Amino acid sequence: MTAKTHRMNTNALIAATVSSILLAACAAAPQIPAGAAQARSKLTQLRSDQELATRAPVAIQEADAAVRAAETPQKDEALGAHRVYIADRKVDTAWALAESRLAEDQRAALGADREGARLDARTREADAAKLAAAASAAESAELQRQIDELQAKETDRGLVLTLGDVLFESGKAQLKSAAAGNLNTLVMFLNNYPNRTVLIEGYTDSVGSDDYNQGLSSRRAESVQAYLVGQGIDRGRLTASGLGESAPVSDNESATGRQLNRRVEVIISNPDLASR
Amino acid sequence: MNVTSQDRRGGSRWHAPLAVAGALMLAACASTPPAPTASLQAAQQAIATAERAEAGNYAAGELAEARAKLASADTAVNEKEMVMAERFADESRANAELASAKTSAAKAKAVNDEMKLSTGTLIEEMERSSGATP
Repeated sequence: MTAKTHRMNTNALIAATVSSILLAACAAAPQIPAGAAQARSKLTQLRSDQELATRAPVAIQEADAAVRAAETPQKDEALGAHRVYIADRKVDTAWALAESRLAEDQRAALGADREGARLDARTREADAAKLAAAASAAESAELQRQIDELQAKETDRGLVLTLGDVLFESGKAQLKSAAAGNLNTLVMFLNNYPNRTVLIEGYTDSVGSDDYNQGLSSRRAESVQAYLVGQGIDRGRLTASGLGESAPVSDNESATGRQLNRRVEVIISNPDLASR
Repeated sequence: MNVTSQDRRGGSRWHAPLAVAGALMLAACASTPPAPTASLQAAQQAIATAERAEAGNYAAGELAEARAKLASADTAVNEKEMVMAERFADESRANAELASAKTSAAKAKAVNDEMKLSTGTLIEEMERSSGATP
């Protein structure tokens, strides 16, 4: 009886050993599927990112479960590969969702930045406008002062500066030295306002022939033009013409009237008016 | 005689359930296992959701893979490979959900980039205009 039992036990042992060897040979030991480690390391990276880790907790949890499933040693290679595939996508999905949430959370700050910049821009614009207004006020004040200095009149044609007969030698076109002061103010003005052009028109009284008066008025206008060119004003800005006795500003009966009619008018164009 | 008849009775008592079970098992083997309907539907829905979010513009690769996996799942169903069909369906859904997530991240970033750009433009314009007027 004892011998029989022993024999049976031995047989059982042999059978068990053989079968276990067979089993081991047939199905290799279960292995952790390839790629599971990469999914795990990606998930660890996501979790260690301060900005992202807290922003998609549910998705990260799901990804963790999928990674753990992928890491389970698996005899079925196809199933292992499938689990790795799912884990990889779940980790990527959690990552993208966290990034999406992060972007949304940053938006409030970006909005505040933009509002701040807008406010700054508006403030600066207002400041610039104030500065520009002050500058333009100062500019027009300066222009007025210079016009006053020129003793010019503002007319529809522009600023009109009248050079009287007394500035010319009697019956001649030659400018007297006294004219220099007045004309130098004009030169300064033209240098300050380089957009402005000038019409120089000579006039006479009615004494003498038309031809003579025409000639004299032309020569006087050209004399003024020559002086201005001599002072550095571009000739292109200056147009001289003689208009003779055609446009008296006073009567030709009295000596004072005639003296007023003998004159050169310098008309300074107003580019602002011209452009309107 | 008694013993034999008892034996025969006992034998028939055992053989009948075995035969039924065997028939059932055979029937189970022969008949098609059910298709993974739930997984297939979930994948289809996930793809539809991604498409509505215009994932084609932001995560075209993932969306294409989701569609391809769904097609594979359908093929597997036709070939009665239901285990494979379910895996393909689940992989399709995982890709579709990834496509949706990437799309929402890309959209959110695009909005932020636009905001940053316009703020930058504002600041740039401001600096330029303040540089022009001393």
